Amino acid sequence: MIQLSKDGPGRSIVLAAGLRTPQARAGGFFKKEDPGHLASRLARELLNQARLDAGEIDEVITGCAGPPQTQANVSRVIALRAGVPERVPARTVARNCASGMEAVTSACASILAGEGDTYLCLGVEVMSGYPLVFGPQMTGLFERAFTARSPLQAAAAWLSFRPSFLKPRVALMEGLTDPISGMIMGNTAELLARDFGISREESDTFACESHHRARDARERGRFEREIHPHLPLGAKRGARSADNDDSIRDQQTVAALGKLKPYFTKPDGTVTVGNSCGVTDGATALLVMTEERAKELELTPLARIRSWAWAGLDPARMGLGPVFATAKALDRAGCELSDMGAIELNEAFACQVLACARAFESDAFAERHLGRSKALGELDLARTNPNGGAIAIGHPVGATGARILLTTACELEQSDCELGLATLCIGGGQGGAVVLERTTS
Amino acid sequence: MIRFDDEALAGLPLPPNCPEPGTCVRYEQPEPGLVVLVLDPPHRKLAVLDLPLMRDLALAIMRLEDDRALRGVVITGRAPLEFALGADIEAIGSIDDPALVERFIRLGQDLFARLHKMENGAGRRVRTVAAVGGPVPGGAFELSLACDRIVLADDPRSRIGLPETKLGILPAWGGSQRLPRRVGVTTALDAILKGTLLPARPAYSKGFVDRLTPPEYLVRAASDVAMGRASCPRRGRGRVGGVLVDRNPLALAAIFVMTRKTVMAQTKGRYPAALDVARLVCRAPLTPLSVGFVEEARSAAVLATGSVCDNLIGIFKLMEGAKKLGVLPGGGRPAPFAKGAVLGAGVMGGTIASLMAGKKIDTRLFDISPEALDAAQLDHRADLTKRKRRRRIRPNEHDAALDRLNTTGDLASLAGAEIAIEAVAERLDVKRELFGSLAAALPTDAILCTNTSSLSVDAIFDGLPAPGRFVGLHFFNPVRQMPLVEIVRGSETSDETVARVAALAVALGKTPVVVKDVAGFLVNRILGPYMDEALRLYDCGVAPERIDRLAEAFGMPMGPLALLDEVGIDIAAHAAQSLHQAYGERMSPCTSIRGLLDEGHLGKKAGRGFYAHSGQGRKARRSISPVLATHAPPSSGEGGSLSDEQVTEQMMLAMLNEGARALEEGVCASAAELDLATIFGMGFPPFRGGLLRWADSVGAREIVANLERTAGRVGGRPGGAARFEPAAILSGLARTGGSFHQTGC
Repeated sequence: MIQLSKDGPGRSIVLAAGLRTPQARAGGFFKKEDPGHLASRLARELLNQARLDAGEIDEVITGCAGPPQTQANVSRVIALRAGVPERVPARTVARNCASGMEAVTSACASILAGEGDTYLCLGVEVMSGYPLVFGPQMTGLFERAFTARSPLQAAAAWLSFRPSFLKPRVALMEGLTDPISGMIMGNTAELLARDFGISREESDTFACESHHRARDARERGRFEREIHPHLPLGAKRGARSADNDDSIRDQQTVAALGKLKPYFTKPDGTVTVGNSCGVTDGATALLVMTEERAKELELTPLARIRSWAWAGLDPARMGLGPVFATAKALDRAGCELSDMGAIELNEAFACQVLACARAFESDAFAERHLGRSKALGELDLARTNPNGGAIAIGHPVGATGARILLTTACELEQSDCELGLATLCIGGGQGGAVVLERTTS
Repeated sequence: MIRFDDEALAGLPLPPNCPEPGTCVRYEQPEPGLVVLVLDPPHRKLAVLDLPLMRDLALAIMRLEDDRALRGVVITGRAPLEFALGADIEAIGSIDDPALVERFIRLGQDLFARLHKMENGAGRRVRTVAAVGGPVPGGAFELSLACDRIVLADDPRSRIGLPETKLGILPAWGGSQRLPRRVGVTTALDAILKGTLLPARPAYSKGFVDRLTPPEYLVRAASDVAMGRASCPRRGRGRVGGVLVDRNPLALAAIFVMTRKTVMAQTKGRYPAALDVARLVCRAPLTPLSVGFVEEARSAAVLATGSVCDNLIGIFKLMEGAKKLGVLPGGGRPAPFAKGAVLGAGVMGGTIASLMAGKKIDTRLFDISPEALDAAQLDHRADLTKRKRRRRIRPNEHDAALDRLNTTGDLASLAGAEIAIEAVAERLDVKRELFGSLAAALPTDAILCTNTSSLSVDAIFDGLPAPGRFVGLHFFNPVRQMPLVEIVRGSETSDETVARVAALAVALGKTPVVVKDVAGFLVNRILGPYMDEALRLYDCGVAPERIDRLAEAFGMPMGPLALLDEVGIDIAAHAAQSLHQAYGERMSPCTSIRGLLDEGHLGKKAGRGFYAHSGQGRKARRSISPVLATHAPPSSGEGGSLSDEQVTEQMMLAMLNEGARALEEGVCASAAELDLATIFGMGFPPFRGGLLRWADSVGAREIVANLERTAGRVGGRPGGAARFEPAAILSGLARTGGSFHQTGC
């Protein structure tokens, strides 16, 4: 197992700097954005703020779950558009909802392997841009028509057309469905609600709190150090840069949430659009490098990476991923859940976070699933997502992993604590967790 | 028979280092039946179709015509992207005798006619193919048009077309006859009248050329076409259009009438070449080639010896000269800037930043107002979107330009910039403070420019470290349209800085002129008295529309009062004030506009000035402001009795006299540069060749006499006598009978 420590020369890895765009509801103000533009502008700004010559970067790593078909290796597009020299390579990594976190841990692995010491890591998702696609019948028709050897063959192909062929397949919905369990993400959350006996009211209360925390954080300027305003493509004359997440509902109430109908399991489910995360566009950029390198470049790091871990579990209960991953990450870091002063646990669904909380403190769960006799400990919900989470500010799939790392890193100083945990559940039955450590006093 | 003997060449100008016959065209025979002719004149860096080259081309053609086994001919340049630069402009410009020009043109026509439908020694048709690339303007394209097929190198550097009308002449080596036959009358008219050189793709789709191929394969592909190994159908217009339009006398007549009307509306008949082109091209499909050639040559001979052509060729040379400003003192071109900064996101700063971003410079635009930054960014995007839609730029170029403009409110984040251009409010203290912090934030080798129009460059930069890198870079409004940039050399500005900034101006598509740091620099200083005289004329009772009409009749693109509305009357008043302070009595401004100003008649931006403005873009309308009738009654009634000539004279002489003074003081280096500045900076009519060339055409003696007469007439008003007192240099020229351009001042 790889042990990260601040003592070993060149082995200590830090998040040297980070920025994110505001996050916008899909179809909102980033409707006409594309990941190449959105993330490259952010990356350019981060490099400029860090006074880092882009030629110093060893590789650009971007997490993106659904790159547009025009930007197959979206990372390379972003790198070149951000002004990174052509000789610097770039790769796109994907681990579904944790793609942005994967970008960072990939960089860490590369650093530990001695491949390089300076990485630009990004997470980006423009869910507005997910296409509608033709089904297999229509594509089959096109194929026959375009490869026809005679006009007759072509005519025959076209004649096989039926209006039903035109029924579009929604890439977004299909992307959010796990093919192994055959369940859409919302239904995996419903399963957790039933497993752990989480009521609709509990979920709605949690969701409402998320909005209020995000609102308060925004009001006190907490996001200013993270967000770089972005003037979206397609903005009309007279428009202004977006400088805040647009999906926070300042006036959200439990009563209002209670009026919503269940979205996934009708009519008796508990998961509604109000207590789930939104479909969102956004990007986050982080500079990941060795502590030595950061010192050379005169950067004040946001946080040190103490450990990370990935874990797999039942795809139908993917929401519990944080518990599995956190257990491993804490073991590697050699610390306890109670040591964590700042925690970001991604809010895919309110009931999923609550289920995690129960699993964390359950001895039985620990024994059965984690192979340990005692529970990991109580998840302090007051210290978890203190600035609201994905339910309020959205979940741009590929970007969130990086976003919660940035938020946790900034939170270390904000709430004056030594250690922080960023963890999330991953569609397909995985969990990811990173333990961060404060570098400044 | 083509003759290039002494008799045929008598009187025609040969280049000074004319090489031996037969050395300008290389004759290669890569395979039996195929000959490749390479235009390779030893006396020129870039081939020009001058007399020695034409002579040797004729020799080569005669040799080909004797070859019994010949099947194909390829004509190409030294390199795939170097063909020839067209006819010898220098030579044409230097001939004054129309008969001689006509003979010169006939030589070229005869030569190309031999190429057209060429036969070998055995009487069989030979297929001729022009393999061209890089710039293929004018005569070079006409040579290609005479060949059976044209193969063009598919490269961004390839440009092909007939730009002769831009120089006041017309494509007379068969261009006006063969192009309409090839691509149809309408396309040919458009191409020749506009004179633009087309890139490879559009040239192919319009049928200018028959095949595109990568430059590396150019000669091989052309050889295949010449030998019939590769099929290469002749492009050009479709048959339907050919029958309906080009073979239809009625349609041609209608096109001619329409074109003539448009040309007259645009040029007021001042550019005779355009009218001749319309006539020749519209008649071309129904006239035999030989007849067309005679008319073409006759028309071109008259045009080439006229003053318009002389003046336009003069301007062309001046522009070429201006580009040389961007050469380092030690020779060689400076490396282009990779990173730049613009300070101030107003319309001017925003547009400058947008231009830079479009030219591969990573540009950061700074302003303290986020609103202004967003607006500038959106303007940049709107411009790019428009150009993408019109296919001026490709989607990837659009994205690159989009990415290269970034905005910031943090001065420290400009640290990486190699050049910074300031365009903030015209206040000395604001600018000085800004440059103080900028000098601290940027490395000492970064060039710092101010886009001031009214402040002294030396005063702005006084006391800052490394003074050699500070310079004035004065763009004109609207930045995208105005082609001139004044480079204001401060007392300590280094030659290298001037060269690097000039290279930037050229890269941004502007024409630079280097001027001294005096109030108003060059253009605004000369413009001041002209605009002021317009106001004074209005003040003494000349109708505003008459003032503008007469200025336009002189050839100005816009009347002075309309221009005042565009600029903004408040801004103009402020500029006039600072000129007055700097130059004293002779610049004393007309005070009658005070009333207009006080009532908020600020010009177009306020919707009212001398004109009432309504609508935007294409719907923009203007009419004389109704307020004027009741406003500011004329101070004297003299205006009504002034003749048209007197009115025009009063404005133009004021401008000229100030221009002469500026030249005297060495504000710019030469009369030529001053002419360039007046044409590109204030729209002085190009057909007149510039302010001083116009003066030369009138004659210094006459000018001085007119100045004195005007001085007598307006001497009573404050500063009137001083303004029209002939400049010393003018009086000198009047005494000696010299002219600005001949004395080489």
